Amino acid sequence: MINNIDREFIENKYHLKSEPFNPHRRMEYHGYNYPNNGLTDKEIIDGLREYALKLEGLPRPVIKARAIEYVLKNTKIDVNEHDYFIGIYSWNRLAEKITYDKWIRELFASIPKMNTVMQDFVASGAMSLTPDFDHVIPSWDSLMDLGFKGILDRVVKYENIHKENETLTEQLKGHFDGVKIAYQAVIDFIDRLYNFALKQNHEKSKTVANCLKNLRDGAPQNFFDALQMIYIYFMLSESVDSYQVRSLGHGLDGTLYKFYKQDLENGTFTREEMKNFLSYFLMQWTGIGNYWGQPTYIAGTNLDGTTKVNELTYLILDVYEELGIYNPKVQVKVNHNTPKEFVLRVCDMIRKGQTCFVFCCEPGFVKAMMEYGLTYEEAYNFDISGCYESKARADEVATGCAGFNMLKPVLYALNNGYDNAFKKQIGVKTGDISTLKTFDDFYFAFIKQSDYLFEEGMEIIKDFEQHLGEVNPSLLYSGTIERSLAKGVDGYQCGVKFNNSGIGISGFASAIDALMVIKKFVYEDKIVTLEQLKTALDNDWVGYENLRYKILNSKFKYGNDEPETDALAKSALTRVFEKVNNMPNSRGGVFKSEMHSALEFVRKGQRTSASPDGRKFGEELSKNASPSVGADREGVTALINSALKLLPYKHHEGFCLDIMLHPTTVQGDEGLETMYSLIKTYMQNGGMSLQMNIFNEEMLVDAQNNPKKYENLQVRVCGWNVLWNNLSKEEQDAYILRAKNIQY
Amino acid sequence: MKAKIIDIKRFAVHDGDGIRTTIFLKGCPLKCVWCHNPEGIENKPQLAYYQNKCLGCGECVNACPQSAHQIIDGVHFFNREKCLACGRCENVCLGKALKFYGKEYTVDELLEIVLKDVEFYNSSGGGVTLSGGECLVQWEFCLELLKKLKEKGINTAVDTCGYVSKEVLEKVMPYTDVFLYDVKAIDEDVHIKCTGKSNEIILENLKFLDENGAKIEIRYPFVPNYNDDQVDKIYNFIKGLKNVQKVKVLTYHNFAGSKYESIGLKNTMPKVIPSEERINKIQTRFDFLLK
Repeated sequence: MINNIDREFIENKYHLKSEPFNPHRRMEYHGYNYPNNGLTDKEIIDGLREYALKLEGLPRPVIKARAIEYVLKNTKIDVNEHDYFIGIYSWNRLAEKITYDKWIRELFASIPKMNTVMQDFVASGAMSLTPDFDHVIPSWDSLMDLGFKGILDRVVKYENIHKENETLTEQLKGHFDGVKIAYQAVIDFIDRLYNFALKQNHEKSKTVANCLKNLRDGAPQNFFDALQMIYIYFMLSESVDSYQVRSLGHGLDGTLYKFYKQDLENGTFTREEMKNFLSYFLMQWTGIGNYWGQPTYIAGTNLDGTTKVNELTYLILDVYEELGIYNPKVQVKVNHNTPKEFVLRVCDMIRKGQTCFVFCCEPGFVKAMMEYGLTYEEAYNFDISGCYESKARADEVATGCAGFNMLKPVLYALNNGYDNAFKKQIGVKTGDISTLKTFDDFYFAFIKQSDYLFEEGMEIIKDFEQHLGEVNPSLLYSGTIERSLAKGVDGYQCGVKFNNSGIGISGFASAIDALMVIKKFVYEDKIVTLEQLKTALDNDWVGYENLRYKILNSKFKYGNDEPETDALAKSALTRVFEKVNNMPNSRGGVFKSEMHSALEFVRKGQRTSASPDGRKFGEELSKNASPSVGADREGVTALINSALKLLPYKHHEGFCLDIMLHPTTVQGDEGLETMYSLIKTYMQNGGMSLQMNIFNEEMLVDAQNNPKKYENLQVRVCGWNVLWNNLSKEEQDAYILRAKNIQY
Repeated sequence: MKAKIIDIKRFAVHDGDGIRTTIFLKGCPLKCVWCHNPEGIENKPQLAYYQNKCLGCGECVNACPQSAHQIIDGVHFFNREKCLACGRCENVCLGKALKFYGKEYTVDELLEIVLKDVEFYNSSGGGVTLSGGECLVQWEFCLELLKKLKEKGINTAVDTCGYVSKEVLEKVMPYTDVFLYDVKAIDEDVHIKCTGKSNEIILENLKFLDENGAKIEIRYPFVPNYNDDQVDKIYNFIKGLKNVQKVKVLTYHNFAGSKYESIGLKNTMPKVIPSEERINKIQTRFDFLLK
């Protein structure tokens, strides 16, 4: 395992621990001082700008490839005595300065709606819309089988086929040229590193040099080569080619196992040596500190029904636990046949505080994926990207192009389409509230508002997604995707089999709770009129405190297994996924609904005025398929029951439930059995992803008051983990509020 | 037939095997000094008032037909003597400061609630636990409910202090998968000091259940200065039984102190809490006995 000095080095490799750090802008930082063997970022940018003049008029993929080549030729590099993995100094997507930055501006200028409707949707927090390049999984199989060199040869082979078939258009030639230049630049970059490594005289340099030689000349030959390959591809794709890689291997254990087994058999490395490499490998992402966490998945089931869990899977857990880290985050594929011992091991790590695991239930995923066209075989081989998003293995791009705020249509129905927070008409006119005589009237107004946002939003997405490959030609990614080479198109634009677009949903439970208040308090029990309720909201509940308490105490809250509420939840959500799922996008694929909120539940909450569910202006929305903060009072079984009624598999891109458990309920062997049973029940009844936080109110209050005592306390936010101490006071309060209700 | 219920707890993981729903019935023949469900002692319904939660909203004043609630200068006064424990104020209380213990349920109403979690019982080997108070004070209701649960194939547990007639046990036994049976002391004087009652019937009943093949989980609430000298004696007593599946030494805690005050009782809970280490040691001894 990694020693403390080396660990300290990697923790400071990407940014200095002693300095303030914003994880959302991680690439803007540099860590330690690199050897003086290249240019500074500024010098590279200046050089690129000058270079751009010479590149003018060339096809965009070629311009981008030349820019990448320039960065890789000129960046400072390192093969450090404290690290087995290479160092690249200029990792802030510098090539974008002469490519993406300009081309995205041109795109916005060419589509008028992007500057009007889209801007309003985004700024009001009704619907975020974005050209997304941050959710790719390359074909790790291609990378492992062929190496960079082999991929380059394959690109040339397909270019020749197109030539022979007379299908090599000017545009296609540009694409092939770009990919070829980029791959040659990578090979040259590795050669540069190799020559640098040869000149070093430290304990690790020989191992690293051997590995770099292998990777320069072809496919990875051993376990360490494979790890270095994943790391180099990751860094170059994410930090130079501007495509965020959202999985390390097709299952980290899955991709590495053949090397592990082979090296043990051949005596290339011992188990301890490989464990050591793994510890340096995983520490890289701890050091990088991506706010969202770096995803990687493990375990799962083979097509023949046998489990993919092997001794390497356990070894990964061992390393992870010994390091005590929370980044990368780990998706654990579970199925009926997953060894119980393995699931219990993960549960044990979770209850000890490593909440960076999420369980992804294969039966639910497979069902969801077959719904949008995968065969059983394709579905069974699925990748997981991002937090818990489904992807056909190296044959699907599903952009994270939009985030829908489900609470806004409720407010728009109340305000005839006017956005009180943004002070502008955003929704459609569905009539003054005086015309909404029954709950059905109100509900239809809500549906109309919701439909409008989806229809407009999806049209805009189609407009800009036609041009993804022009704005940011995918070079390294395209090279790994054989289908894209055969088709002769940009891999990310439409080069895979499933070229989809995912729409995430925030504020689902907030919206349901709000609708139930209107149903019960206004139309059925007549405790308050719609006008009075609207006034209360306009005043952010000031002067209406008692009404707000009544509403907060109401039992008609999603997450309590309350039949009437859950029926409305299902109905409203069905409308959403029917509006989205399998509707064609502009890349030859379809839209996919997803019960996943990322950080949008906080961001959109800040832009959403007071709502009928008792929420005040700016407070966070509910996230994922989870209840509003503090609304689930009937315990975790009731919550799971409520969630399962929503038809999880209808959310083709993913469906996640967050549960919170009291430490006393998961103590001892019986406690582990309890966790196991919850996962099993959720899985058996159609659940997809399940994440757990284990703590109690007292402990969180103590942690809020004594941050020093809880420096290692981590919480699962929404598909990623953060340290408790890095949450704002408001975010901490939301956890404390929810913890009040958990049973022990 | 209806029963008075103090609480229904889903996802109960400490009242028998697996994930369970525990139904707490009202009324108990004993009065243990450490009782952590004092709202379960009285047979009659009771209204609890948690002063620290009161917002002074005054909604209860309008709801109460007896004028038991008053707000004077924004401060809530509750006159317990006037209260008939009808429970109407519970639902309107904005701060959830008023809690009604003793809501009536029919067997079918309870069945509907417990059946919601069947999937969890099945996957965890759990089921339904009847507890209290002493659930068998309302034994006819329990019998009816247990029968229905068994018809549905649900695992049943009866959490009892054992201070009931043998005939009652005989009746519920066929429909009870496991008895969670409290043994608080073997010495009669200690038992009287702790609970106000002799343990003669309790130990007799325990032997009776054991001889008749009932599955038993013994629960020993370990309270320093009260029954902490009973370890050896309980150990020896259990040694003579055949059907004990498990012995659980329950860690005493005094979290429930505020409940006493809320229903107008004097808090009798002992102050001294046993160390985890001490409990674990005794637990290990019992575990070893059953191996």
